[in-house]
Parts: sequence; C-alpha cells; structure tokens
Amino acid sequence: MSLLHDRSKDPLWKDEFSVFTSDERYVTRRQFAKFLTLASLGMFVGNLWIVLKSYLTKKLVYPPAEVATLGEIPVRGVKLFSYPLPQDNCIMVRTGEDEYVAYSQKCTHLSCAVYYSARDNRLECPCHQGFFSIKDGSVLQGPPPRPLPQIVLEREGGKLIATGVKVGGNG
Amino acid sequence: MHGYEFYVDPSRCIGCQSCVNACAECETHRGQSMINFDFIDRGSTTATAAYVCWHCDEPTCAMACPADAIKKGDDGIVQSSLKPRCIGCSNCVLACPFGIPKIFPELEQMMKCDMCYDRTSIGKRPMCATVCPSQALSYVHPEEIARRREKPTNVFYFGKQKITTLVHMMTPAETDAVSLDVLDYMWEGTYVAAARSE
Amino acid sequence: MAEVPVSPDILIDRFGPHPAYTPPGGWQDESRNPAERLVKTHCCFCGQQCGIQLKVRGNQVIGFEPWEEFPFNHGMLCPKGVKRYMQGGHSDRLLDPLLRTPEGFRTASWDEALNFTVKRLKEVQDKYGKDSVAIYGGASLISEKSYLLGKFARVALGTRHIDYNGRLCMVSAGTAYKLAFGVDRSPLPWSDIPKAQVVLVAGANVAECAPITTDYLWRCRDAGGKLIVVDPRMTPICRNADMYLPVRPGTDLALYMGLLHVILRDGLERRDFISKYTTGFAQVAESVRPWDPRTAGEKTGVPPEAIERAAQLFAKADRAIALHARGVEHQSKGVENCLALINLCLATGNLGREGAGCAMITGQGNGQGGREHGQKCDQLPGQRSISDPEARAHTAKVWGITPDEIPQAGYSAVEIMEAIHRGEIKALLSCCFNPLVSLPDAKFTQEALEKLEFFGVVDFFMSETAHHADVVLAGSLQEEEEGIGCTNEGRVIHIRKAVDPPGNAKGDSWIYVELAKRLGKGKYFPYNSTKEIYEELREASRGGHADDFGITYEKIDKNMGIFWPCPTLDHPGTPRLFEDGRSFHPDGKHHFVVTPWRESGDPVSGEFPIYLTTGRVVSQYLSGTQTRRIGALLDQYPNPRLEIHPRLAEQYQLNDGDWVTITSRRNEITLQAMVVKTIRPDTVFIPYHWAGKRSANRLTHRTLDPRSKIPEFKVSACQLRKADAPPDWATAANSDTTKGGGKANARLRVLR
Repeated sequence: MSLLHDRSKDPLWKDEFSVFTSDERYVTRRQFAKFLTLASLGMFVGNLWIVLKSYLTKKLVYPPAEVATLGEIPVRGVKLFSYPLPQDNCIMVRTGEDEYVAYSQKCTHLSCAVYYSARDNRLECPCHQGFFSIKDGSVLQGPPPRPLPQIVLEREGGKLIATGVKVGGNG
Repeated sequence: MHGYEFYVDPSRCIGCQSCVNACAECETHRGQSMINFDFIDRGSTTATAAYVCWHCDEPTCAMACPADAIKKGDDGIVQSSLKPRCIGCSNCVLACPFGIPKIFPELEQMMKCDMCYDRTSIGKRPMCATVCPSQALSYVHPEEIARRREKPTNVFYFGKQKITTLVHMMTPAETDAVSLDVLDYMWEGTYVAAARSE
Repeated sequence: MAEVPVSPDILIDRFGPHPAYTPPGGWQDESRNPAERLVKTHCCFCGQQCGIQLKVRGNQVIGFEPWEEFPFNHGMLCPKGVKRYMQGGHSDRLLDPLLRTPEGFRTASWDEALNFTVKRLKEVQDKYGKDSVAIYGGASLISEKSYLLGKFARVALGTRHIDYNGRLCMVSAGTAYKLAFGVDRSPLPWSDIPKAQVVLVAGANVAECAPITTDYLWRCRDAGGKLIVVDPRMTPICRNADMYLPVRPGTDLALYMGLLHVILRDGLERRDFISKYTTGFAQVAESVRPWDPRTAGEKTGVPPEAIERAAQLFAKADRAIALHARGVEHQSKGVENCLALINLCLATGNLGREGAGCAMITGQGNGQGGREHGQKCDQLPGQRSISDPEARAHTAKVWGITPDEIPQAGYSAVEIMEAIHRGEIKALLSCCFNPLVSLPDAKFTQEALEKLEFFGVVDFFMSETAHHADVVLAGSLQEEEEGIGCTNEGRVIHIRKAVDPPGNAKGDSWIYVELAKRLGKGKYFPYNSTKEIYEELREASRGGHADDFGITYEKIDKNMGIFWPCPTLDHPGTPRLFEDGRSFHPDGKHHFVVTPWRESGDPVSGEFPIYLTTGRVVSQYLSGTQTRRIGALLDQYPNPRLEIHPRLAEQYQLNDGDWVTITSRRNEITLQAMVVKTIRPDTVFIPYHWAGKRSANRLTHRTLDPRSKIPEFKVSACQLRKADAPPDWATAANSDTTKGGGKANARLRVLR
C-alpha cells in the first residue's frame, strides 16, 4: 500500500510521521532496549574474551637478561636492575645463602619505587606505607591493589638470568 | 490476509446484531462492540447495515491523528489507536469519512475494529464474519464471492477525496427501484397506494 | 393453593430477571488465563440447533467459540447463541430447591422438596383420581428427557394428561404432515434450499426466528433462485424478496387455495406425479374451484395479479420449496394452512427430489425430537399413536408393563389449563414451560394456576409461572446434561455436557428419576445417566417412524449428525424423505386433503376493528425467561412495542413513541407505539416475550385448531386508544423512540 503513493509529493510531516509501520524510522523503546541489550551483551562477551585470554596467558616471556652473579651481593643485600626494558626498574634481594628473589620495583599503587627493608624482611613503598611480601610479592598492607610482579630468575653457570615476568594471580 | 478478503453487503443484513454481540465478547475491548450498526430508517424499512472498519489504504484517521497513535501495518490492517499515545481528542472520529472510530471518554481512548487481529493474524476468521447468519459480513476467498450476483468494490469518493480500502463493499448487479411501503403491494379492490388521495 | 405468596415485585427483586452483562468470572485476559477446554455442542435455543463450542474453565461456562466445521451453520450464530453462555453463572440461577412460605420461598434440602412433591401428588391422586394430575414438558429438553417425562406421566403417575409447550409450536404442521405423508418431519435437508429455483416462505420471519436459514435463502438467490414471501409484515427478508404478498391475518388459506386454483386453471400441475404417487386430488381440485384470484384477493388483500404471478412462478419452476412456520400454523386453521401448502407442492410434483419439497421450520431447540418420543398427550415413542394397539404393545414391552396400564390420550396443553380452571385437574408438575407468558389469555392462565391444589416446577430460573409454585426444584441448563436432540431438518445431534449443575441444582433427569423412586416406581426408572435413558429410547423408538435405533452418540459425532429414520446401526440415515415416491401411510401414497374455509376464532368486527398479531424479535427467545436475563440481548430490544402503520396511527393521533392502550375482548395492555410502514395498516403487532403487564398474551384468545389444538396466536381482534399517561411499569429508562432503533452501542460501560 505504501508503494502506491508518490513520496516526492508528500509534505514533510507525512514522511516524518508516517502512518505505515513499514516506513517508520524512529526508534521505539523496544528497539532501543534491544539495542542496549545487544550492545551490552557484546561488551560483556568482549570483556569475557579478554579475561579468558589473560587467564590463559600467565607468563609473559621476554629475552633473558643477566642480572648478577651468584655471591655478588651479601645476604639481605639488594641489587637494582632493569628488565625487560630499560625503563622497567626491578629490585633483586638475596634472602638467604642460596635464595634470590626479584620483583618489579614499581609499586602497584601509584608506581613509587619500593625498597627492601632488611629489618622487616619485606619490600616497602615509602609513599603510602604499602608493604609487599618478600616471598611472593603479595600485598601485606596498604593501598596497593595487586601483588608486585615477580621476575623469574634462572641460574646458569653461576649467573642469575631474568627470563620472564610473572604477573600475580589473575591480574 | 492468508488469501481471505473481507466483504460487506448491507443488502443481506437482517439486523440481528449477531456481529455486534460477538464483537463485544473480545477480551481486548471487554463488552464494547466495535461494529457500527444502524437502522437506516426503521419507520420506512427494516433495512439495516453493519459496518466494520474499512482499513483504508491511506487511512484518514491515521493522517489526522496528532499523537501518531494509529498505524497501518504491512498486512493492510489499520490498528486501533495505541493506548500509550492516544489522547482522546476525537480528531479521528471527525476525520473518518465512514464514521468508524468510537471515542470512549471515560478511558480517553479511541477504539475501533482491527479485524480481530488476534484471530486474522493466525489465519482464523474475524468474529463478526464468522457468526453473521446472513453473511452480510463475510471473510472468504475471492472465488466464493464470485458466485454472488453482487460485485465487490473498494473505491469510494468523498467529495474530492478518493479512498481505496482493504474491505470490499458489495454493490448490486441491477439497480431497480424497490418500493418500501406495504401500501404499494396491497389490494382492496384496487391497488391501495394508487387509490390514496394525494 | 397456588396463589403467588407475596407481591411479584418482591419475587422479581430476589429471583430476577436481572440482566447480566459480564461473563462469569469477569472479562479475564484470554491469553493469561485461557479456557481449559472447548466443548463442541449445540445452541440451547431455537430449532436451527447451530453448532457452537463452549469455553469452559473449571465448572463454569465462560464464553463461546464458533464451531465452523458443523455443516448446518458453518460457525454462524444469532445473537442469542452468542450470549447464551451467560446463563450458567447467572446470579438468578436457582441453586437449591425452594419451598413456598407465606413470605415467599425458602431453600430446602432435596429430600424435603422431593418428599413434599411426592406426598402432595399422592394426596391429590388419592383424593381425586389418577387423572387429576397433569405433567407439562417442553421442547427444549433433550429427547431423553422428553421420553422420560412421557414414561413418568404414564408409568410413575398413571395419568393420561401429559403435554408440552410444543403444543404451541409444531402441532399444526405435525398434524398436517401426518395426514398428508403419514410422518411428521421436514422431508428435506436444508442443503436443498440453495438448489431450489423458487422458495415460497409462508408465515415465517426467517431473519428474526431462524436467522441461519437466511444464508440458505440468500445462496438460493445467488444461484438465480426467486423468493416469494407471504407475511402481514415486511420482515427483514422481504427486502430481497422477488414477490411480497401482504396477506391479511387469518386468510392464508384463501391465498394458497387461490394459488392452487391458478395452477389447475392453467394446467400447470404435474399429472404424472399426481396419478402415480398421490390420492385425493380430485376432491381438492374441486374444493379450490371457487377460489379464483379475484375472490382470493378480496379475502386476503393480496392483488389478484400477484396471486397469478406467484402461482406461475411456483408452478413453472422445475424445483420449488415451500417453507412455513408459525405465521400459518398459529391459527385455528393451522392444519388446513399447512395442508394447503402441501397440496401446492404435491400438485406441482415438488417432493422427494433435490431442491424441491415442503418443510416446516421447527421453532424450538428440540421441537422435532420433543414431538417424537411420547411427551405429547396422544403419542408414544417413535412417533407412535397412543391409541394404536401395536404401538401400545411395543411400548409396554420396553417399559416393562402391560399395554392396559398405558393410559389413553389425555388433554393437550391449553386444554389442561382449561381443565385446571374448571377444577378437573388439581395438580400440575411442570418443566421447561412458562405457561403464564406462553399460553393465550394470560388472565385465564393465572386464574387457573391459582386454583391448583399443588403446583411443582422444575426450572433453572424462577420464571413468572414458578411464582405460583408450591415447590421449585432447581434443575439443569442444556449444557449440564448429555443427550440427543433433533434439529429442524430431522438431523439427530449430540448435546454434550460441558459442566455440572452449580450449587445444589440437579440434572432434570435425576429429579424425575428420584420422584419416580419415591412414588414407588423406581424399578421402571433404573437410570444413572441420560445415556442409559437413551439406550432405552433407542429400543422404544425402534420400528416407529421416528426410528432412532441405529443412532448412537459416537455415530452422531463421526457424521455430524444422523437423519432419522435410521433403523440399524449400519444405516447411514435418511436426509431426504420420499425419494422412492412412497409416503409413510399404509397405502404408500401421499394424500391430498381438502381444506374447507372458515373464519378465525376472534372476529375483527365492530368494537374491535383491528387485527392483532403476535410474534417474536431476534434478541429474545420464547417466554424470555432466559434471554430477558442477558443484558446485551435485553438492550437490543428492551420492551415490547406496538408496530403500527402510519395510516392507522394517524387515526388515533399516535406518533412514534407515544403510549397506546391495546384492548382485546379479554384484557388490555399499554405499550409504546412503533410507527412503521412495514406492516399492514389494518394490523398491529406485539412481540410476546415479556410477562405481566407487558405480556401480549393477555390479549390473545383460546380458540384452538380443532385437530392440532394449537392456539390462534396470530389472529386476534383489538381496539386502540391513546393512553393518557405511561403505565406504572414504565420508567424513564424504559422509554425510547424508534429513531434509535436498537440500542446497539448505546450504553458505555466502564471496562475492567
């Protein structure tokens, strides 16, 4: 029926407020609600995909870099280094005779540089009193929301090599 | 729809108002009938006519509606006014050349026949055409109508406005003048009508 | 005494009629709360017996749905059928038996009510004899119940007086057809009507009284058929009539004899058919000799040329059908009128072939079945005669009694009322009948009812007649018992049970079986269901004309009804009678019967110069007990109006809507005038569906056709007088003018 009349002769109001449901261009609440639902669903799916991906990818592998030699630093000693990129400051601590741990030095709260407190055997951030565990970098106290990323160390012929970054938990 | 067409033939109407009563049964308009039923002039004749909405191709009621509340779908049915939009202004009542829409002031709503959309959209027949004992209202395939002597038409002229409709009106095959007074048939020694003094 | 205990207004206030507008349970959303089941059954009202489906939720009928597959009406319905479902849950519905008290009625237990009924019936019979008790039945009862009533009267009570409201309906046609053909049934199925070339509709307001037949007539015209209508009023079908003959009330006989005269004069009769299949032609031919068109025209007020033309039209057609209804039958010459129409069909060879014949349009729902199985004063099941020794023997065997124990014929319906009036009959037990509204001369009926020593009524609403009862037994609606009926075509159909009777109301059949038990005749009524009654009915009707032996409920369901006679289970039924040319008479011939002229019983003369005819409107049914309780139907035509031609109205300075008092030799009533050109100027018309001071039957008279005993409702004499003031029953709400016509869409009701 709507094909029968000549659109060009119609005044504007007839076209804007067409009586034929097939010519309607405005959006009904139902259509809008559908759109919102689909968009929301799309975003949810997208997010889900991202989460799944990050969950499946725990290790980020970078080219290994030499950090130090065994015995270079004393027990309860600290060495600062950069890994994987020059701007990524990290801190290595010799926690025992033969135990070495390394973490990113960027506090997960507001990126201040954390230091090692030998007295309390933990990593501390001076900005807001955020403390991290020396064992796994998890947050002991304070505003930091996430554990410190741990640098994976491997020994190779008397040297300590950084081979990867372990982001704690599920990010 | 579904191959059926709606035909209205007032010459067959016997005034039983079965259509009026059956239409009123619908839950959508509970107890209110959407049939327009008239005694043409009971003083002179038993002629009656029952009309449904004609579902015009370009519905005047919809064009005149300030709230954009009346819509015509792709299947050709002009729906009754949308409840959230209708403001009860009666523009459509005044605009319709056939006088079909009815205003219900206590509801501030216009209601009219929607050809029993809940039935016709799934291939059933509208209630009025199903119950009509004289089939003055019929909803059949066009081949069945071809058996009648009357011919269907769906073009109407109202002044300068030409209206084409979904519903067809049956027009007589011949148009002899028919006398409506019993006196013209009666005989008391001579034809009574002729003997009447002027 | 059966005087009304308190003023009728108090009873009406308590028991109705109150108009109902909303379905039981309200207008509920079908989509959220759909009906639980659809029951395929038939309408409870007229003889067309349209197929309809009832929507049922729980134990209530809540709506309807068309039944498009049923071949008679293909889903079509009239407004009464559309609204019938409003009866079941109606607030006026009688839910308990009622016993009369000085203040009105009180509810009683079934034991008390039934024992009281039996006690009083026995007392009356012991004191005055067996025939001092009469039974009234009705033609809306399923065949099982009409059979049960016939047996109850004769076996349980031993009275010869049983008759039914069909005495006011089909008996003229029945008597005529039995005289001519030996059997009382429409000889043709309705599907023959569209195949005719000419249909003569005589005294039948098809549009208002048998609306679905309109479609058959229109289809006949679509195929080129011609329609001739004979009626003192221009009813709605007249608008499409090829010929309209406005016959003077009571003069139809002259018209049909005039038609036959023309046919014989012009040699248009079918000689071979007459000589081969009929007897009695010569006498009839002789009897119509004086009725030339001019003589007939003077008698009837129909132009001689019209008589000539109608006769030519009818006789020259290869296939013609004559349909007739109460217009010709409700006369003291009712039998003669029907015989004259039959003579026309026999003379023109219109019988026993497709598209040709003569048929009565049965009025009531089971008017056909109700006049077959013994509910009539002179009838035994199977359309047998109570005086026929073979019939008595067969029936007695089925009933388990000796033939001598079956009484002889008793009084017919009006005669029963007359016998009550003169004190011969002292007790009455009535079902499915509202004589105070339906019988002629309402004042006489009221006097008679007040003389009854015991009056029991079985009904589902408190009718106006029931106001006089000593006990009212709360009975069942049509949708509350299963059974068979027979439609106007002779098609036996299945009435399905949709719901149980509400409250403490019981099925009518249970009531009569209980009464029989308490009368000590329980062993003759060993029925636990109507189906068991039907099994006995099949046997009882076997071998009779109305042979239902080969019909079972399942066979009906499979075949959409079976036409009787159906003598064996594998017989397909008999839609068209006389196809082999044989009648049901012993000689196998159709009989021409002479129809001598006589005047009507209430002559129009002197003080009473105007013909009064009574009839119906499409929105009401019979005495209105059911339809005056349905709001939408009542709004369509709220009060009886006096239809009067402008020429006559002018003589009495009457305008449309003025109040006018109509007086007959019996009584007077005051109604509003409806000034219309669609009625003869020497005739007025009143529909009879209302009671009391609005009852048209206050004016009618008790002249009966001598053979059929049908009252002459269609021809009375009256006078008119403009009323000074509206009658006391009229309120502002009641008065309306013709201009608005029906009150379609007039009243706006708030939606839920």
